[in-house]
Amino acid sequence: MRFQEMTMALDRFWADRGCVIAPPHDTEVGAGTFYPTTFLRALGPEPWRVAGIAPSRRPADGRYGQNPYRFQYYYQYQVVLKPSPADVQDTYLASLYHLGIDPLAHDIRFVEDNWESPTLGAWGLGWEVWMDGMEITQFTYFQQVGGIDCAPVSVELTYGLERLAMYLQGAQHAFDVEVAPGVTLGNLREDFERQHCTYNFDHVDADLQRLLFDRFEVETQRLLGLDLVHPAYEFALRCSHAFNLLDARGVLSHTERQGFVQRVRRLTEACASAYLAARTSDAPAEVA
Amino acid sequence: MATLLFEIGTEELPSWFVRQSDEVIGGIVSARLGGAGLEHGAIRSYATPRRLAVLVDGLAPFSERRADVRRGPAASAAFEADGRPTKAAIGFARSNDIDPADLVVEETEKGRYVFARREVGGDPAAELLPALLAGVVDDLPAPRKMRWGDGDAAFVRPLAWLVALLDDAVIPVRYAGIEAGRTTRGHRFLHEGPVELAHAGEYSEALARASVGADRAERKASVIASAESAAAAVDLRLERDGALEDEVTDLVESPSAILGSFDARFLDLPDAVLATVMIHHQRFFPTRERGGDLAASFVAISNNRVPDDRVVRGGYEQVLRGRLDDARFFWDADRRDTLARHAWALAGIAFHKELGSMADKVARVAKATRRLAELLGVSKEEAAVLKQALPLFRADLATQMVYELPELEGTMGCAYARAEGLPDAVAVALEDGVLPRGPSGPLAATRVGALLSIADRLDTVTGFFAIGRRPSGSADPFGVRRAALGALRTLTAQGWRVPLPKVLEAVAGSFSAPVIEDDVLADVERYLWDRVAGLLAEEAVAPMVVRAAVHGSRSVIGAARRAHLLQGLVALPGFADLLTLHKRAANLAKQTGGAARVKPGLFRDPVEGPLHDALPEARRGVERLMAGVRKQLAPWDLGRGPGAELSDLDAAVAEVVRLKAPLDAFFEGVMVMVDDAEVRGNRLALLAEVADALSDLGALSYLEAPGET
Repeated sequence: MRFQEMTMALDRFWADRGCVIAPPHDTEVGAGTFYPTTFLRALGPEPWRVAGIAPSRRPADGRYGQNPYRFQYYYQYQVVLKPSPADVQDTYLASLYHLGIDPLAHDIRFVEDNWESPTLGAWGLGWEVWMDGMEITQFTYFQQVGGIDCAPVSVELTYGLERLAMYLQGAQHAFDVEVAPGVTLGNLREDFERQHCTYNFDHVDADLQRLLFDRFEVETQRLLGLDLVHPAYEFALRCSHAFNLLDARGVLSHTERQGFVQRVRRLTEACASAYLAARTSDAPAEVA
Repeated sequence: MATLLFEIGTEELPSWFVRQSDEVIGGIVSARLGGAGLEHGAIRSYATPRRLAVLVDGLAPFSERRADVRRGPAASAAFEADGRPTKAAIGFARSNDIDPADLVVEETEKGRYVFARREVGGDPAAELLPALLAGVVDDLPAPRKMRWGDGDAAFVRPLAWLVALLDDAVIPVRYAGIEAGRTTRGHRFLHEGPVELAHAGEYSEALARASVGADRAERKASVIASAESAAAAVDLRLERDGALEDEVTDLVESPSAILGSFDARFLDLPDAVLATVMIHHQRFFPTRERGGDLAASFVAISNNRVPDDRVVRGGYEQVLRGRLDDARFFWDADRRDTLARHAWALAGIAFHKELGSMADKVARVAKATRRLAELLGVSKEEAAVLKQALPLFRADLATQMVYELPELEGTMGCAYARAEGLPDAVAVALEDGVLPRGPSGPLAATRVGALLSIADRLDTVTGFFAIGRRPSGSADPFGVRRAALGALRTLTAQGWRVPLPKVLEAVAGSFSAPVIEDDVLADVERYLWDRVAGLLAEEAVAPMVVRAAVHGSRSVIGAARRAHLLQGLVALPGFADLLTLHKRAANLAKQTGGAARVKPGLFRDPVEGPLHDALPEARRGVERLMAGVRKQLAPWDLGRGPGAELSDLDAAVAEVVRLKAPLDAFFEGVMVMVDDAEVRGNRLALLAEVADALSDLGALSYLEAPGET
């Protein structure tokens, strides 16, 4: 199964189970959890189901494309179901079957994982899903998001698409994964990855990113003052990315790093509270 | 008598919780049944990643009948002058569901009170069990529980189903919106469809047919046996690892072993790296060749019995190869720099914002270690090792390998030092210095390593006390308690008879910012002695004996040895009598107000001389006791108890106890507080010598003779 067929299969599978298939968000994020369709929609009582490919950036994780598994830019497949259904594990296993992975032919385990995102004021409990010793999915029941208790609880499934594709195609490196006939992930991302790694580690202008962080932080607060939650949250995401670039550049001391984490957290928590207060206009249609 | 089955079906539980629950659930059920007055026989527990269950034999059909007596208002407030019950009495009777006329008055220590007495019990078990069993779910302890769906219930992972059967009848337990039934589930992959139970007693057999090994001990035995036989099949020996065996047992319901291998070129990585990657990251068992070398094979325990295990094995091997590739990359990259160069990078790693970087910490530790070495005395060779090891201590914290695999701190310092060609003793000291890794982990074996370990840990304790971050309650975010215990265990195991305050002075002297004030250091010392007391309590030494030993000692090993000596002495009747007399002497002697010398010329009564004459023998006895204890109790890992028991001290004990007769006679025969100041002072001085003669045994005033209150 080619990479794009995989994502299409997952879209089909989750659409059939009542999910909105949302296109990727266009602000840089460290993980699908930062998507407004996850972070903000996990708040409040309204049911919500969303799925889709979620490109993510973690500047510090880049390895210039040398490591088969680690990248500064990669694809997650993100599913959020609110409230978490009682049969979600079975549904998840069915989605693997849908991808051509027969759970009866593999060693699949749900291994304890306690998830926490200090910059999002969020934590949850769940599992890493292991297939034959490889982590292929993170499975989390959100308990708190933006410092607010989740009620009802959402479950988030994050598939590691590159790993799954490598497995399905027998590829030794993510860049060898075939996306479409004759086109590999490497064709799409190799130069991009290498150049961004060089940028992240050696050429990030630290003064510029610090300045941007400061300005974006003020902007987030200003927009919150105008009750413009969605634009405010995007500026909070930009703060988070500026912080990630500074972190990758290696210019933050331990203490300073903690300070940035706290500042991002204060912004995302403020956005969460503001969203919860103002979200009536966003109330979604009944979810199947 | 009936058999009760209660099964809590869940989504996959954390492995530690499966094991912990298997240990405690029987007690929880027993306590609940006992509280409800339901007698029962044996309780068996079952635990897997997807279920916790108990099977209770011989459950009584009805709760026990017994009298329930409750105290009400005072009799004076319960009745009017004419004997009619007051409003208070009527209300009390009503709240206890009895007629006010049935209230009884009884005399108590606090006066006359009204009591309500009624028969309770006799309720059918089937009626009591629904609420009782729901309570069992609540009682299972966990540090953090979660909610799920749109309910309010909280458990470690979402509940999926409940089974509650009393013989063949369903008990309608409700929890988290789930109604208990007779339907359980088999293995997630190896069994299709529900499993119906006709009777509680068929639980484990029915699950076995559904490919679930519900009995944890049996499943663990099967994990070990299948892993061992997989290794033996290719003439390898399984590397046993208790923690891994436990964890793997609780990751599977139906264990089956799969042997896999990796490229032999990875075998030149240090063994500890290979083992850590296999055990901690992949939950694989390493294997060894007959000769003892690590083999390029591993055993994985699968939760699934697949028709063709090549796919699964291939997956295991590919993931392991990725991890070993990473490790190889770090090993090669880290060795491009020497440890001395890595040490420079410690300046960039924070220890704590008020206590500086790791470089600052290591510099303090180096100073403190040198002072301690002077204090304790080291050989010329050890001093040379120390000199080389100090600048490299904890330098491996700056390596990529330790950044990625933090559990290898120290181990990598040792491996990189060896790879650099540094003397073996230096390499070993670098690893020894980070020991012990946990509350029961092994201690530094070398003296140099022990010095580093003690200095490093006491630096942590002292530093955090100085900035007001001492542990409080169970909160210990900086690991201060762990550091303290590690230092004390190491200090004792080395048998260093150096006063604890001296050790702390050496540590405190290495701080420049913050400066360690005397009151902080006194606080640290008290905290450490409290930990010593805690460790001795773990060795089953009685609390009063621990207090006497700790308050009467300057060194930790001294306190530990005294504790075990006194523990034996207080059990001897003769010694206990001596204690009582000694306490009287010590109390009176407090009034001397100085070190007056005894002047035999001032003896006025025939009992004074013999007491004075008996003192040298008593002192000799005490000396012999202490020497005997030092000889017989070799230094040990504090908290685990000395390796030997004390023996052959009778003669020395007799020498001490012989003081009893003249002391007894003295108290019988003379009045101490006579008017003649000279005579009085002389008698007090004599008693002070009596107290002093035994003082080396500990702070005996903390001891109570048996029967004394």
